[in-house]
Amino acid sequence: MTSNNSTSIQDIHTAINTVNDPEYPGISIVDLGLLENIEINTAYEVLVELIPTFSGCPALGVIAQDIEEVVRGVPGVKKVDVQWLNTPVWTVDRITAKAKEDLAENFTVAVQINERVECPRCKSMTDKKSHFGPSRCRSIHLCRNCREVIEVLRD
Amino acid sequence: MNRSWDSLETFENFLDSGGIVEPVDEMPTEYRQAVFDFIEMHANSELMGGLTERDWIPRAPGLRHKMSVIAKTQDEIGHAHLLYMVAADLQIKTRQEMMRDLFAGKSKFHNVFHYRAKTWGDQVAIAFLVDAAALVSQQAVFKNCSYGPYKRILKRIIAEEGFHLRFGEESVLRIAEGTQIQRSMFQSSINDWWWPALQLFGPDSKPNDLLLRWHIKSERNEVLRDRWIQKFVPLLQGYGFTIPDPDLRWNKEENRWEIGPIDWEPLKRTLAMGGPDSARRISEASESWEKSSWVREALEKVAT
Repeated sequence: MTSNNSTSIQDIHTAINTVNDPEYPGISIVDLGLLENIEINTAYEVLVELIPTFSGCPALGVIAQDIEEVVRGVPGVKKVDVQWLNTPVWTVDRITAKAKEDLAENFTVAVQINERVECPRCKSMTDKKSHFGPSRCRSIHLCRNCREVIEVLRD
Repeated sequence: MNRSWDSLETFENFLDSGGIVEPVDEMPTEYRQAVFDFIEMHANSELMGGLTERDWIPRAPGLRHKMSVIAKTQDEIGHAHLLYMVAADLQIKTRQEMMRDLFAGKSKFHNVFHYRAKTWGDQVAIAFLVDAAALVSQQAVFKNCSYGPYKRILKRIIAEEGFHLRFGEESVLRIAEGTQIQRSMFQSSINDWWWPALQLFGPDSKPNDLLLRWHIKSERNEVLRDRWIQKFVPLLQGYGFTIPDPDLRWNKEENRWEIGPIDWEPLKRTLAMGGPDSARRISEASESWEKSSWVREALEKVAT
């Protein structure tokens, strides 16, 4: 890792920050806690290390492709290598407060911090209805008050 | 806050001014029924679509495609799950009753799932043409849907279907750049699926369509159908494939594609469960539901 290059880690970070989760348009994969590490060597070759929410997540290919594309667009970058790491394991604590807010507001999606999951709409208690939803990182809850059907991101 | 309306007229004024109905509101019976029917059909279609997708997990050409097909299956079944919950909450039918009616051939689902996908080319045609047709109609519903829970779920479904479309586009590109055998396989799939995909939008909307009046749908069937035609004719032709419509022509004055007359008989047959693959599809769905009953029973035991 070096900071002598004209292309900085910060430039690459800024570029990666524009890559959104393919299933949550507008929510950056950086805010979802997928970015683990960026390295750049003297030959301007970039290594981006990511961690998946779940190892078999179908979006991995698309996310890696999107990152490769934006990083290659950063002036000075000669080569990009995107790697998915096995460790550390992704947990919901890696999601930023901003992403949690955006998920609640724009997608009515809650994040499971502890046993108690609040309804993103009315803040009431919810009941878990099934452990899996449209993807393995989500369970389905129902709000006790407003009866909203909620997807809950969980580890 | 439980809102209620003293007449259908005040309710319609509320809808016309952009009002959003929530499950706790005391909505008119007719509206409740219309929303329920619409969501039930959508849920059924997601379930039948997911089961079609599932058939291709063992047959997908290569690991990457297999992963995509598995993921799409989970998405579709997950969408069905969310939609059945929203539908059941309207308290017209329970989830069990919706399943019972579907397996008895009494409930509607999209016409395209009354046909059989015989080759990988068919599967790609579904991912490309049919998924796009479904997406075009869902986007239009989402834009101006008056039933809150459905509108919010549609937003997430649309994001995921958009992701599926990327898979469809990638798969078509692969076939288009492939061997002569691959290209002719896909041409024959286009020949089989072009018209069913186009019929998915349904016949032209009637002037008194209640779904439009109550803002459950926001655009007329023919408008959506035309949007899809204008997009897919040039796309398929660009890849060097032929559209199976001898009357297709470019209207220079209006700058748009015009298609030949649509035969609505095949659509009517699918609605009466008399499509080429209706019986097998329904019995397979029912069988899969039976076979998985132990999972539901086990989960219920864990929950209690």
